[in-house]
Amino acid sequence: MPREPIKLPQRVESLSVLAADGRIDADLEPALDPADLRRLYRTMLASRRLDERALALQRQGRLGTYGPSRGQEAASLGVAYALGKDDWLVPTFRETAGLLWRGWPMQTWLLYWGGFEAGNVPPAGVHDLPIAVPIASQCQYGMGVAWGCKLRGEGRVCATFCGDGGTSEGDFHEALNFAGVYNLPLVTVIQNNHWAISIPRSRQTASQTLAQKALAYGMDGVQVDGNDILAMIVATREAVEKARTGGGPTLIEAVTYRMSMHTTADDPKKYRTEDEVKAWEPRDPLLRFRAYLHKKGLLDESTAGALDAEIAAEIDQAVRQYEQYRQDPAEFLRHMYAELTPELQAQQAELQAYLERKHAPTPAPVP
Amino acid sequence: MFDFKLPDLGEGVHEGQIVHVLVKEGDALAEYQPMLEIETDKAAVEIPSPKAGTVAKIHVQAGQTVKVGHVLITIDDSAVGVGPPPKAAVQPAAAPTAAPARPAATVLTSSAVAPPPVRAAAPPVPPSAPPAKDGPVPAAPAVRKLARERGVDISAVPGSGPGGRILREDVERFSAGEQVARTATAGPVLPPAGGELPDFSQYGPVRREPVPQIRKTIARQMTRAWLNVPRVTHGDVADVTDLERNRQNFNAALEPGQAKLTITAIVTKAVAVALRDFPVLNCSFDAATEEVVYKDYVHLGIAVDTPRGLVVPVLRDADKKSLPQIAADLHAIAEKARTVKFEIADLRGATFSITNVGALGGKFFTPMVNFPEVGILGLGRAKLEPAVYEGHVVPRMMLPLALSFDHRVVDGAVAARFVSAVIRSLENPLRLISLA
Ligand SMILES: Cc1ncc(C[n+]2csc(CCOP(=O)(O)OP(=O)(O)O)c2C)c(N)n1
Ligand SMILES: [Mg+2]
Repeated sequence: MPREPIKLPQRVESLSVLAADGRIDADLEPALDPADLRRLYRTMLASRRLDERALALQRQGRLGTYGPSRGQEAASLGVAYALGKDDWLVPTFRETAGLLWRGWPMQTWLLYWGGFEAGNVPPAGVHDLPIAVPIASQCQYGMGVAWGCKLRGEGRVCATFCGDGGTSEGDFHEALNFAGVYNLPLVTVIQNNHWAISIPRSRQTASQTLAQKALAYGMDGVQVDGNDILAMIVATREAVEKARTGGGPTLIEAVTYRMSMHTTADDPKKYRTEDEVKAWEPRDPLLRFRAYLHKKGLLDESTAGALDAEIAAEIDQAVRQYEQYRQDPAEFLRHMYAELTPELQAQQAELQAYLERKHAPTPAPVP
Repeated sequence: MFDFKLPDLGEGVHEGQIVHVLVKEGDALAEYQPMLEIETDKAAVEIPSPKAGTVAKIHVQAGQTVKVGHVLITIDDSAVGVGPPPKAAVQPAAAPTAAPARPAATVLTSSAVAPPPVRAAAPPVPPSAPPAKDGPVPAAPAVRKLARERGVDISAVPGSGPGGRILREDVERFSAGEQVARTATAGPVLPPAGGELPDFSQYGPVRREPVPQIRKTIARQMTRAWLNVPRVTHGDVADVTDLERNRQNFNAALEPGQAKLTITAIVTKAVAVALRDFPVLNCSFDAATEEVVYKDYVHLGIAVDTPRGLVVPVLRDADKKSLPQIAADLHAIAEKARTVKFEIADLRGATFSITNVGALGGKFFTPMVNFPEVGILGLGRAKLEPAVYEGHVVPRMMLPLALSFDHRVVDGAVAARFVSAVIRSLENPLRLISLA
């Protein structure tokens, strides 16, 4: 018997519940509370509108460099929904929808993109790490958090995110390897949006799927239609349940698409065709979810209109609060060391002297 | 009124080109309505209006390149009651102690300060003084380190980066410039006086004209020379009778297209060679370090009268060139100077200068040392004069020479010897030939 296929105990599946054309797999459709469905839709819509607003604010010079999440809302939101309140979420910078679901206020999120330290502080009772930009660093943080959960034996789970580009980082592999060996309660979600800045998915790895990378680390992998909020919920629920009951880690590949530019400092026209973007438009997660709710009778034109106005007002309010926010300019010096080093003390004194010369108003942090 | 300025559109982007202006003056403008399309070297982006109102003024047009901070559109937002209130007007209810809206700089600059009274003459500011700065100097640690290594005071370096940030190149340029400045401009440099002129119109009609750049440069340079150089002029006369005869013969026999030998060319050659033996006249004095900077090259500044004013182009390596070559080069650079085809580089780097007013007349004068050089030789008009020659009074062709020198480094005796050496060459054409 010299040559035969190796049977692996782990599986790699693909999952889709709500097709792009509106057909639904009744066997897989999760039974969700109608109130939850409406809240999910509201959050997805709010995320989309906030994303659009942030882009405009950046173009007006009112916000820093910004990375839009248009088109990826379901992949983030479905995961956040499937987590329990006491579970952990470790976001990349495209987790707007998920963070809103978890309870992050819009103005905090704006403060993050405005470059304020306060944008990194999760609201009370929310077990999330701040947005992290270094690619695949989230995998390591998430793995560490999951390990902590396991050591504490509280039955809590951690979900962590990275991009398709992130799977080429050492951090991704180290984290998955560790999570596999220690059987950690970790759900790693790859937001495969098909691009890592200008590098297409096809140049990222020769693997047919990203989900199959799970096999190398001894865990299950599942490739999910990431623009299908229902499929994302189903897949994450299963993974979270397994993790909570000692079944170990799972790798989820959410197949989605970055509808916008990489960040406001990027012009995707330089490396991808308009046709490619157009082809993804009918698969927009917001449109699909809206159609689903219409069919179910949970959303009509008038409620949709009221929702739009409500969200616009909410965003206006958040932008106002964001723009009124004042931070002690020396704040940025305070978070690296428990005690300021002599160099930092000198810098703080220099800054203080400068501000005094400038007659700067005394800073009053706004909660 | 709200001036919308080009914001920082992306990492490392300092400017953009206006592709389209999407609104017209007088248009009503909704908040977030697209106003402009701008292309940076990273992306083409649409700029949405930050305010509701009307378009009061458009300051740009398609095709124009604008820098971050450039006012693009003025929006009249006075008549609009809806939309988010202006930033500074709102105090957060939750935090009554909150300070005025950021950015602090806006608050400070918008406070009512009367414009400074218009003054007839600006207070003198040394041109080399760095712009006044207060507060932390914007420079990265690596740039600060470079400045420390070069012994450069970073607060004096003008920054060319975004927001005035000091870049590595700025420090390098500054430190190079400072070395030049130390050798070249040590000593007082005062701006030309001009603040306290009487009102001439009380004596009769007058008219004021701004002077062209070249006149400003001449004025600055002359003032600097006058203030920095303790000048002495040494005068002598060369008997160029034989030289002139030879010169005329030589020119008469020229092939067509060959440059005529001029007195200036011959003197240039004689001076260039003499400078090799008198390095102290081919140096600069660094008053700051009290050092003499000897130059191992001989580049001669040749004063040329042009319709626009005095220009002194440089004939490089004059000591290494043959007489016909010098004649040809002099012809070329003078032509270039008169037709304004020269570049600044053509006017830099002289080690000693020659000025010939002979064509216009004049016998003896005191040339101005072209600081930071230390010597200049002036030629008057060569003409036949009664001279005692071999015991008889005879008409001889006499060329007056006036050497001005910087007495800080050149003593009178050295100057006299130098002029004698030049005269020996001029009076002895064979010697000149042997130098070529
Ligand atoms: C460690 C690290 N290297 C490089 C970068 C710069 N960078 C920011 S986003 C990005 C591409 C990420 O692609 P992907 O993982 O697919 O995430 P996406 O941007 O598509 O969400 C890169 C290279 C970074 N943030 N961190
Ligand atoms: Mg990607």
